[in-house]
Amino acid sequence: MQYHSDKKTQPIIVTKNLGKTVTTAEGELHILSSVDLIIKPGESVAIIGESGSGKSTLLGLLAGLDTPSSGSVSINGRDLASLDDDSRALLRNQIIGFVFQAFQLLPSLTALENVMLPLEIRGDPQAENAAKALLERVGLSKRLSHTPAQLSGGEQQRVALARAFVTQPAILFADEPTGNLDSKTGTQIIDLLFELNQGQSTTLVLVTHDPNLAARCQSSIRLEGGKPV
Amino acid sequence: MNSIKLALKMLRRDIRSGELTLLIVALLIAVSSSTAILLFADRLQRTMQHQAAEFLAADLAISGPMANDATWQLKAGELGLKQAQTLEFPCVLIENQAMQLAAVKAVSDNYPLRGHLKTSTADFDQETLSPHGPESGQAWVESRILPALGLKLGEQLTVGEKALTVSKVLNYEPDKSGNFYSFSPRVMINEADLPATGIIQPGSRVHYVFQLSGQEAAINAFKDWVKPQLLASQRLLDIHTDRPEIGSALSRAEQYLGLCSIVVVLISGIAIAMTSRRYSERHFNTIALLLCLGCKRAEIFRLFACQFLLLGAAACGLGCLLGWVTQEGLFYLLRALLPQTLTSPGWVAVFFGFISGMGILFGFALPPLLRLQRVSPLRVLRRDLEPVSVSGWLVYGCALGAIGLLIWRQTGDLQFSALIMSIGCLTLLVLGVMVYLVLKLARKLFKGMSLSWRFGLQGLLRNSRASVVQILVFSITLTAMALSFVIRTDLLDNWQQQLPEQAPNYFALNIMPEQQSALQTDLEQAQIYSSKFYPVVRGRLIQINTTPVQERVAKDSQGQEATQRELSLTTSEKLPEDNKIIAGEAWQTGKPGQVSVEQKLAENLKIGLGDRLTFLVGAQEFTASVVSFRQVKWDTMRPNFFMIFSPGTLDAYPSTYLTSFYLPARQKNELNSLLKKYPAMTVLEVEQILQQFKTLLAQLTQAINLLVAFALLAGFAVLFATVTATLDQRILEGALMRVLGIRIGFLRTAQLIEFSLLGGLSGLLAAISSESILYTLYTRLMQMNYQPSPYLWIVLPVAGAIVLSLAGYWGVRKVVKQSPLPILRNL
Repeated sequence: MQYHSDKKTQPIIVTKNLGKTVTTAEGELHILSSVDLIIKPGESVAIIGESGSGKSTLLGLLAGLDTPSSGSVSINGRDLASLDDDSRALLRNQIIGFVFQAFQLLPSLTALENVMLPLEIRGDPQAENAAKALLERVGLSKRLSHTPAQLSGGEQQRVALARAFVTQPAILFADEPTGNLDSKTGTQIIDLLFELNQGQSTTLVLVTHDPNLAARCQSSIRLEGGKPV
Repeated sequence: MNSIKLALKMLRRDIRSGELTLLIVALLIAVSSSTAILLFADRLQRTMQHQAAEFLAADLAISGPMANDATWQLKAGELGLKQAQTLEFPCVLIENQAMQLAAVKAVSDNYPLRGHLKTSTADFDQETLSPHGPESGQAWVESRILPALGLKLGEQLTVGEKALTVSKVLNYEPDKSGNFYSFSPRVMINEADLPATGIIQPGSRVHYVFQLSGQEAAINAFKDWVKPQLLASQRLLDIHTDRPEIGSALSRAEQYLGLCSIVVVLISGIAIAMTSRRYSERHFNTIALLLCLGCKRAEIFRLFACQFLLLGAAACGLGCLLGWVTQEGLFYLLRALLPQTLTSPGWVAVFFGFISGMGILFGFALPPLLRLQRVSPLRVLRRDLEPVSVSGWLVYGCALGAIGLLIWRQTGDLQFSALIMSIGCLTLLVLGVMVYLVLKLARKLFKGMSLSWRFGLQGLLRNSRASVVQILVFSITLTAMALSFVIRTDLLDNWQQQLPEQAPNYFALNIMPEQQSALQTDLEQAQIYSSKFYPVVRGRLIQINTTPVQERVAKDSQGQEATQRELSLTTSEKLPEDNKIIAGEAWQTGKPGQVSVEQKLAENLKIGLGDRLTFLVGAQEFTASVVSFRQVKWDTMRPNFFMIFSPGTLDAYPSTYLTSFYLPARQKNELNSLLKKYPAMTVLEVEQILQQFKTLLAQLTQAINLLVAFALLAGFAVLFATVTATLDQRILEGALMRVLGIRIGFLRTAQLIEFSLLGGLSGLLAAISSESILYTLYTRLMQMNYQPSPYLWIVLPVAGAIVLSLAGYWGVRKVVKQSPLPILRNL
């Protein structure tokens, strides 16, 4: 299955009345409610808000990692609810890239192997070459055989960026990408993120409470108490 | 995605990081011990089957306590079969002031019909294969006879009344069976010399074997013809008999070893389960990420299944190799009990060992691995999302299933296996609850104690369930070691010590009736005081009222043993002094045909007062009525009997006399002259018999100790698995405490206390278990007064505390090594 979009006109992500509720011992907890979004291809969007405002929950729903309690999420016109587990996995591999706050590299693989992973999942025979190229782009050509334990925080996040972009995703989701980094390194990472994005016109959806990062995005959504304001 | 390549990569890295070391070690231990036993049993079985003919020294044999029927020889001749015969009996040899009990075998010229004898003419000389036995006038002896009697080859050896030349050393005879007399060294003579020895008289205890070889059709024809003629005391052996005489000692050894290996597997299984669980938990993030990156669940499952298959295959392969080595060790330790030539180990058994290993791995590792299927990809954003635990029933079910299959394979009996499983589970449950309660109680007791003690105990109570498991595991192992030690050293010594000071230390049997009074006089003159002389007739119980006796007995009970062999029957006007009548009455005088039965045997055979018991003596039957039951003290070393008849009952049958006497060491030489005068008499020295038992026991326990060592290693694997599982938490707590101002020395003390408590409690539980088992052994099995082993109550807890504190201490050394701040930063 390939997901093509008319990048110029069709929205790439659409949510309608999106909501997430969980049942706790104290009763129902509405983490998200009434979220309506339209994100166009190539747009960069920042989701901002304080801790506990539902940012990460929204990200999870948009990326198909979680299922909503109400409303719908569509990517490239396809309602995620209509897809089964395996189809959602395929979707992620084909058109979605991820960058996390805690880097999330596999500790038992080298930098090169970590970057190759999404392409290997796809069965791409050019995985190694593509990975090498991207690691060179992020300035880690001399660290290919190093494991995450041998890399600094900034270097690990660069590897994560390379991994996210190696599949040339249509959408990149980033959850607090500079959260674990000092401000100088964080700025370097953000520069790299937007630089890589420029070449591929990827849609960027970033969760952050870094105002500098939010400022570099074309638009932003602020959440308060699970609702957009 | 190429699962295998990625699986290999991840596996290699995991192994290198030490994640899987414990799992591999635990699996190695389990597979080595179970393969060793599989190989041992298989090799024994195949040896018996492939060399059955050689073990019989014939194609067909009839063994029994009576001389062979002349009609058999005629029939065999008619069918064109070759014949041979052997007679075995104990005999005391005296040469050069030395005395040695020997197992004499008189063989006919054709012996052996199959296989060869191996002899040599000097101790380390070349062995020669001999197709037949010694010529008339010669004797071939086992090498240890020569130094025992101060003889050299070529010198004369007197057997009974006949002097023979010792011409060769006998190294191997194909049909040497593993019965009691096989411990006495062998003397082989020619059948023709037997009458001249004067040893064999009517009533003598002799084991006859009639052997045949030839075409299969003729053998079968003879078998069909002779079978209906055989008496209950005679046994037909052919190459298809399942277990030709390898002796009960060896089959018991095999059983115990088998059960030991199952205990090892159980303990290793616990370690495997724990390490798999931790492995699984440490891979939740990996799986969440892979799902996030687009990997399908099926692919992920394949990835991990692949890893475990590869790991399992490698570990099982290595385990089978170690098992092979261990099995060789077992055979070496038990060499005295075993047949002298063994087939090489079979590949089928190794294959089964491999399969068992994979079964063990998946039986214990599967439930934690199944949890991996439940990881949500959302975990990449929410670290706290844990997959739901797999049902406890599934966990225990898989483990019990694996163990159950192993037990069933060992015993071959479904019902018995179910019984063992139920008893085992119940015992463990009860003990587990006891330990759990003790731990809870300890918390209350420790309230007033110092901080380090409270911290130490806290460490133990951190995860009560894991602590209970560890204590059970170690106490099982310590119990096995304690029992092994006590049985080998104390048991027989205690028994000897309980004997009165001048309790008889010699038994004299096979005393000819016409020589009895002369012997009694000679003994009195030598001031050797003997107990009463009892006439002994060898007979077998075949019927109780109208029921054949086989239908009354329970399998493997004492009753069954007593009905499968000849008993020593005697008559007496009065019952022995220390026999107490507990039911019925003493006999009416002058009335033969009454019998008094030993109480426990009567219970086993469900004999009631007034029952009519039928006995077979030779080819004749007679019946007697039960008039009383007696309680017998077997350890007085005076003659004691299961069956005592009223005077006159056994007059029709040839008998020999039996007595026992006390002979101080300084008078031993007088015995030699007596033996020369009464050559048919056999004298058994109790000390020598005891010594033989001790040697046998020592060898058995050594073999079992080998497996107990495995169990101990498996126990350590469990300990390290538990420690590793809690290591992260310990490191964190340690860091916090140091930041709050607690010294490293204090932390170390608390750790020591924790593991000492663990070891001490295990040792205490082991002491309780050991004493309970020993109590049962003393009172039920050996019918002795119970002798507690007080040193166990000190040695076991102390040993447990020391060993576990050292091991545990080493396991948690990381906790105080690192600087606290980086640990806390990584929170």
